[in-house]
Amino acid sequence: MVLKIFYPQCCNRADSGLLVGRWIPGHDSAVVLAVIHYPFIPSQVKQYLNQIQCENQGQLSVLGCWSMPKDGQEGMESFLRDLSTIFPQGRWLQLSRQIGKIGFTCQVLHRDQNGKLIQNERKEEEEEEGATELRDEDTVVFVHYEQRKVMLSQLHPVDNGVYHPQAVPSFEVWQVFQTVAQSEPLFFLDKYDEGPLKLTHWQSEGREASIIVELLKQVSTPLCLFVTWLLHLWTWFCSIRILHVRPVTFLSAKLSTCVQLQYRTEHMRILSSHQRATTHTHFMRKANILTSFLVDVALGLLLIYCLYRENRIGRLANTLVPAADHVAKELEDLLQWLMGAPAGLKMNRALDQVLGRFFLYHIHLWIGYIHLMSPFIEMILWYVGLSACLGLTFALSLLSDTVALLTFHIYCFYVYGARLYCLTVYGLSSLWRLFRGKKWNVLRQRVDSCFYDLDQLFIGTLLFTIQLFLLPTMALYYLVFTLLRLVVVLFQGLLHLSVDFINTFPLFAIGLRTFRPYRLAEGVKFQVLCEEPGTPLHLMMEINPLKSIMVMQIYRTPTYNCYPKDSWGGLIKKLFVGELVYPWRHKVTKYD
Amino acid sequence: MGADSGAGAAPGHSVPWRKVLWEHQPYPDNYVDQRFLEELRRNEGIRQYRYWPVVREAGLVAQQLSCVALFITIWLYMEQSLLSPTTLLWTSLLSAFLGYGLYQALRPGVGSSCQPRTRLADLQSATIFLSFTFGFSPVLKTLTESVSTDTVYAMSAVMLLAHLVSFPYAQPSPPGSLSLNAALFASVCLASRLPGALHTFAMLSCALLMFALWPCLLHRIKECAPGHFPGVCVSVCVGGVGGLGSQWLGGAVLLALALGSVILLCPLLLVRLQRHKDTIQGPWDEAEIHEDLIHFIH
Repeated sequence: MVLKIFYPQCCNRADSGLLVGRWIPGHDSAVVLAVIHYPFIPSQVKQYLNQIQCENQGQLSVLGCWSMPKDGQEGMESFLRDLSTIFPQGRWLQLSRQIGKIGFTCQVLHRDQNGKLIQNERKEEEEEEGATELRDEDTVVFVHYEQRKVMLSQLHPVDNGVYHPQAVPSFEVWQVFQTVAQSEPLFFLDKYDEGPLKLTHWQSEGREASIIVELLKQVSTPLCLFVTWLLHLWTWFCSIRILHVRPVTFLSAKLSTCVQLQYRTEHMRILSSHQRATTHTHFMRKANILTSFLVDVALGLLLIYCLYRENRIGRLANTLVPAADHVAKELEDLLQWLMGAPAGLKMNRALDQVLGRFFLYHIHLWIGYIHLMSPFIEMILWYVGLSACLGLTFALSLLSDTVALLTFHIYCFYVYGARLYCLTVYGLSSLWRLFRGKKWNVLRQRVDSCFYDLDQLFIGTLLFTIQLFLLPTMALYYLVFTLLRLVVVLFQGLLHLSVDFINTFPLFAIGLRTFRPYRLAEGVKFQVLCEEPGTPLHLMMEINPLKSIMVMQIYRTPTYNCYPKDSWGGLIKKLFVGELVYPWRHKVTKYD
Repeated sequence: MGADSGAGAAPGHSVPWRKVLWEHQPYPDNYVDQRFLEELRRNEGIRQYRYWPVVREAGLVAQQLSCVALFITIWLYMEQSLLSPTTLLWTSLLSAFLGYGLYQALRPGVGSSCQPRTRLADLQSATIFLSFTFGFSPVLKTLTESVSTDTVYAMSAVMLLAHLVSFPYAQPSPPGSLSLNAALFASVCLASRLPGALHTFAMLSCALLMFALWPCLLHRIKECAPGHFPGVCVSVCVGGVGGLGSQWLGGAVLLALALGSVILLCPLLLVRLQRHKDTIQGPWDEAEIHEDLIHFIH
């Protein structure tokens, strides 16, 4: 049987004393957390341990004794052995180390049924597995760990590239990490405290703290209260009855600015809640949200600085109306070209004229409205630009909405063209079946033969001929407007994707992975420290940090994902048939 | 199945051979006795054609061909403005009335098919036809403006050919969908090439008359006055050849040759080749299900 003892590196040079730690249930291992030095009173030690145990549910106990004899301290051995009678344990470890030597020696005393301790012989060399049955003695392996890093680290069980947050593996390393993390109250006493006990652990040289962190902790409570009050106001404002009318709710669902506002409100609510984050995931999510919000606001302020310097925004407003005019002029030229003989294609002149004139009139109306609004544009833009102080994502959403509003006529044209084309295509396919004497059986979802009446045949053939010859004209208009619409959609999609990226990127987690890689652990690796014959094996346990890709995957903030709704094949099929396409769809997210 | 003692055992074997496979018999598996192929039937159900009745029936094919030729002739006349649309319209109307009267006069016996159409329904149909055609004729006129002439001629030719091929010669009365639609498509293509909207309207009415209503009348004549049927066919053929000849002599000659071969040559071939017919049937054929669903529909 191999007995593993996890020994903190900070206690390698500690003075002689008692070992305090925990036996790991189910495995043959022990975790040493601290060393209590002489002189001590055993009853005070027991009292202290009970007090710690009541505060958190760890099961701390005295594991054994540690001796590193300095000059003038001989004779401790018998004293140490007598201690084992004071603290009743199942097993008693007696570790000792000589100054100048690297390896420890260890003796394990078992308690038999009578309560007497029996000493087992320790093994000289590393035991091989095949010889276990021959000798029933303990082999001891020392695993050294860095206490501070293990305490702060969080283990992520990753199985084949998939993260299982709920899985609590029962393997040892997890238990070790849990034990060290839960024993934080044990590390509060350092060697400058005037108490009855003197401990050695990672913080025994004195507790460190940062002034900035302490100040932030003090400031955070009133700040949270303030943010909560603001949120209350905002929620009250949003629940006014007049804002719940159908058109307003429809509009607010479509405008990406409103969606982004909702999203940020939800974030603020998470951040300003009264409870501290209990689980690691919760804490990481809050931290990620906070950092991304701060970065967002910083970028937004930078944008404002760039825009408002030298009155750039005024100049931008002045170019907006001429830009809209220019777009309208280009569209008119396009329509005139279509009404002629575009690319040498022969179109049906009458239909061409009808469609062309209809769309031209639309553009004329649109330009009229733009010119009506032009005196107010500069002022509106000036005030709206100020709202970029809420974040760069906000500014990008506003840009996307502005583009949508300015190209509304292109959207209208696309819808008209698509509906006409769709009607033609469906009519043609149905009348083609009539041409051959068949019809579509809706019940059986198949094509059946059918006896048509003379009237039906006659009118059906006439309509079929008309639609067949008018199809090229309709198809050309549909193609042109669909291409325009796709360009606009692509641009809007790019904006949404960048907003999404800023929203979901886990900046805090990536920063942690870069600067403090031991905080996010995937596993551990062992390195052999000392393998001398005559001493037990010493291993060094190092933390294996999580891969960056896994960090991104695990800690992405869930969001209203902007993702393409159809696959390429589906999209092309829809375009071919004339169905209206809305390529980007927002996913509604649920918060747990 | 079933072995008779009369079948006789093959020499050398005591047990008579039976045509079963589930018994182990002392014969090899591919053994056959002298009853082999006694269930073979040759030329079952074959009909002996006689020349003149076949010629009579072939008259229908010939007259349809001439109908198409006649239609093309009328179109040629209209295109060259030798025939005015109003004349054509009045002629079509008159012929329609005459035809309708003849149709009603030749009503078959009492025990014929289910509901005869009422006069009101006929009037309704006629109104729908005329109003629709009149309303759509300006649109139809501009349909093939941008298509080149060769394409239009090619399309019409293909469609008329399809019409001739898919025409229900056995029973022309409910007009076959594909044949009627093809003919109407061809007539719309051709009619859109004419100079004016009224021309288009007249052409379409004429096409409707010739391709949709004339076969019904012909069917009625064939059923109720079979003695006059060959005369009608001959007159239509003569009209077709003559009409085409007045515009295009070569075409008339070709048409005459085609008609001659259809009426006279093909029946001869059919009768002659009937002698060489040699079909065999037997119990090895696939089973055929003879179920006539037409009786359930009409």
